[in-house]
Amino acid sequence: MTIRVAVIGNPNVGKTLIFNNLTGGRAHVGNWPGKTVEKKEGKCRHKGVEMQIIDLPGTYSLTANSIDELIARHYIVNEKPDVVIDIVDASNLERNLYLTTQIMELEANMVIALNKCDIADQLNYEIDVEGLSELLRVPVIPTVATTREGMAELKDAVLGAVKGKPTERLVKISYGKQLDGLILRIEKALQKDEEMCMKYPTRWLAIKLLEGDKEVLRMIDKSSSKDEVTDQLLETVG
Amino acid sequence: MMSKIPLMTLSENEEAIVVEVWGGRGLVRRLSEMGFTHGTKVKMLHSSCPGPVLVGVRGSRIALGRGVAMKIIVNPEADS
Repeated sequence: MTIRVAVIGNPNVGKTLIFNNLTGGRAHVGNWPGKTVEKKEGKCRHKGVEMQIIDLPGTYSLTANSIDELIARHYIVNEKPDVVIDIVDASNLERNLYLTTQIMELEANMVIALNKCDIADQLNYEIDVEGLSELLRVPVIPTVATTREGMAELKDAVLGAVKGKPTERLVKISYGKQLDGLILRIEKALQKDEEMCMKYPTRWLAIKLLEGDKEVLRMIDKSSSKDEVTDQLLETVG
Repeated sequence: MMSKIPLMTLSENEEAIVVEVWGGRGLVRRLSEMGFTHGTKVKMLHSSCPGPVLVGVRGSRIALGRGVAMKIIVNPEADS
């Protein structure tokens, strides 16, 4: 069995370094079908399990506004990798956790690599790793990619995440009372299209609709739940 | 009185606090994803004509077009 692992994170957090550490730098570069942006793919073996590791483009977010974000998002949504390693810059936690919340909303099976821990130490940052892990209900592994610290632990966490069921540790991010109610109503309207709801997280679809995400709007246009969803959306405008 | 000026008008190495973004929904969101949110400290790192300006925000350096940098409104006095 091969586990498919995607590596994602903000630009300049050490994604490719971690990728090369994991794969032993044996990466080859390939093209995404129909896109000019490159993805890197590599393999590694840990405790007898083969892992296929994919390096996604660095992004701040997963909206439909630019090609690199769309590539990362398509890979997570459509290819559904077994595990997503979210690389977070420990010296810049607040900025990085925004992307983390986006990946959580995609209901991906996530492991966080808290990278650049050495720089965070230098800045005298004290990060409550366990607390962070508890809050997000995601394994958080401190790493220093430049010295390969934490790589074995990271691979262990990936194997552990494959065994566990991510649905049991799903955290819903609240948008406040008013919006949460609305999101629920749109989710209900979406459920008429069973096929789509099997393929995509319903809550994510609902949130993207409220954000006016062009791609999700196009999907709804072709969906059997179009009328119900349009009614709900119109109600909010009115 | 709080002074409000476009980020573009800061001189090099000057710091300020983001007050608001004058733009449509798309721009406001894009900039907030990159860290330009209300109350965030920014620093003009490099601004020489022509070309984009380099701004430090939340530990990253981000290059912004001059038009976009005009739409980010900052308060240089709030910086202490």
